[in-house]
Amino acid sequence: MSIIEQLDFSKTLSYWPRHNEAIYRRLESKHAWLEERHHPDDDEAVDPLDNEMILNIGPQHPATHGVIRCVVKLDGETIKKCVLDIGYLHRGLEKLAESKTYQEFMPYTDRMDYLSPYSNNVAWCLAVEKLAAIEVPERAQWIRMIMSELARISSHLLWMGVSLMDAGAVSVFLWTFQFREDLYNIFDEVTGARLTVSHSRIGGLVTDLGEKGIEMIEDFIERFPVAVGEWEKLLNRNRIWIDRVDGVGVLTAEEAVELGMTGANLRGSGVGHDIRRFEPYLKYDEVDFTIPIRTEGDALARYFVRMEEMKEAIIIIRQCLDRLPEGEIRSDDAKRSYPGKDEVYYSMEGLIHDFMVTDTGVCPPNGAEAYHAIEAPKGELGFFLQSDGTGRPCRVRINSPSFSNLQGLESMLEGGMMGDMVVMIATVDPVLGEADK
Amino acid sequence: MPGKPVNTATKNERKLNFWERLYLPEVLKGLGWSIRKIWKEPSYTFQYPEEQWYPSDNYRGRPVLVQEEGKTRCVSCNLCARACPPMAISMESREIDGPKEREPVWFEIDMLRCIYCGFCEEVCPEEAIVMSKEYDLTFQDREEAIFGLDRLLVPKERLADRLAFLRKQQNPQFGSTWEYPRENNRHSLRDLTTDAESIQTEQ
Repeated sequence: MSIIEQLDFSKTLSYWPRHNEAIYRRLESKHAWLEERHHPDDDEAVDPLDNEMILNIGPQHPATHGVIRCVVKLDGETIKKCVLDIGYLHRGLEKLAESKTYQEFMPYTDRMDYLSPYSNNVAWCLAVEKLAAIEVPERAQWIRMIMSELARISSHLLWMGVSLMDAGAVSVFLWTFQFREDLYNIFDEVTGARLTVSHSRIGGLVTDLGEKGIEMIEDFIERFPVAVGEWEKLLNRNRIWIDRVDGVGVLTAEEAVELGMTGANLRGSGVGHDIRRFEPYLKYDEVDFTIPIRTEGDALARYFVRMEEMKEAIIIIRQCLDRLPEGEIRSDDAKRSYPGKDEVYYSMEGLIHDFMVTDTGVCPPNGAEAYHAIEAPKGELGFFLQSDGTGRPCRVRINSPSFSNLQGLESMLEGGMMGDMVVMIATVDPVLGEADK
Repeated sequence: MPGKPVNTATKNERKLNFWERLYLPEVLKGLGWSIRKIWKEPSYTFQYPEEQWYPSDNYRGRPVLVQEEGKTRCVSCNLCARACPPMAISMESREIDGPKEREPVWFEIDMLRCIYCGFCEEVCPEEAIVMSKEYDLTFQDREEAIFGLDRLLVPKERLADRLAFLRKQQNPQFGSTWEYPRENNRHSLRDLTTDAESIQTEQ
């Protein structure tokens, strides 16, 4: 064997060519129902732009909201077929969780849906608490609710800014980011970090919501509805915006359910499913709010749903602040969550518990399984956990809303116009950190 | 009462009237809106490197070791290294004479790995590692990013804010009426008498 053959890595390093070929083969062999949907038999008109073209959009494209790659087959300007290529941000979170204790994995959930990290923290902690049957004090639950709703506003604000920017209205992006900055300041004050909050813990919270934090939240919920009203005044009757999104990316209720859409994408199609109502967690069964739905199922309907969800979130936060009880923020069971610092510093048992909780953590019973889902801003975010009796999960499965929602994107794009593609990606509101896990 | 799904669509939500269908007024409306923002809105940004941002006490900056009377508080129990999710902390321990009995020979935090989650601070049984307010770290190379004791030790006085915050906020004691006398926090059984005396003189 000559030295040149030895140095020829083309066979071993041929992942990308093989991957690309597979994608194109899939695109070719994909059976899209476009002919039936958009060219009924009696329609003999021939598109003058009768050229088929295969176009790659992404993975790095400002309109794709992350690293998503759409391979589309264009007929003129109509998208005939589309294949999504996701996984560019895959970090193996599910496998990673198997080598971490339940507590240790919590910061990793911040990095899933990085637009609403608090919701992910809460989802993970609730799942573990369900698995290990840990009681969480009332105050912690209310604080978690407040912060999750703030995270929802934060996520919807980003969606709104970015989708309007995709549609050409750049200045809205700046206005929504002004309020996102306020929200980040609140998160900074309450949790200690702007983005990677890591505030929720198994069995409660790490720090209490202080006076200043409550003041900031109250100030925010005073100012925010005014700003939303102004935005609605500008956008709801705006011909430029409505023309751009009306009738784009239509999903009927049946299609939305079949494709497994969640969150606002489902409610925009007329299916009134919201986990906050149907499987209430935290204290959602004690607060009063409406779940806005629309029946049209297009991008405009989703826009209305999300705008109203932001206003509903404010209503929920008001009720939470009114009913926020005094008391503990962390489970008192030292075998399940960290003991108080006084106990750790000044008593032997506290010190032992501190070491035990860190080293082995909570140990749910062997063979226990739990699935807990919350209504994250994007939709149903669920964690399936399987325990083998040790402090580490035996298996973790993450049901992330962005991944489910992206399943509907292909079917939305097929038959749409090329120019509407960015609007359709924006209206699905994917976060690739979560979809690729 | 839990939430209720309601179709909150208003009448003619999607139908624009004649005046709204005219294209130009909408363009002008948007422009007018933006210009109004220029006039009315106060500036929302600050010039970062010149104007520095001072974080609140809750802020989790880079983790540092508390230096008390020229020595570290750390007893090198390795608990922070165990709790650290990205495994950024490592240390080597040795036994010493004195009430603390142990100290780290070397203590390293790989700041390229650190995710600023604050678990080390939360679990530390000696309040020896805390999160400071420093947030703008830059490195020239990877070796420089591994902080040893020389860069980690920070005098207690400079961390007074954070230590006071921890006393007040973090892991507060719940639901127990037991008082925690400071004498219980003995580090060594070797010289109980001197230790107790030193606490009494402190008080």
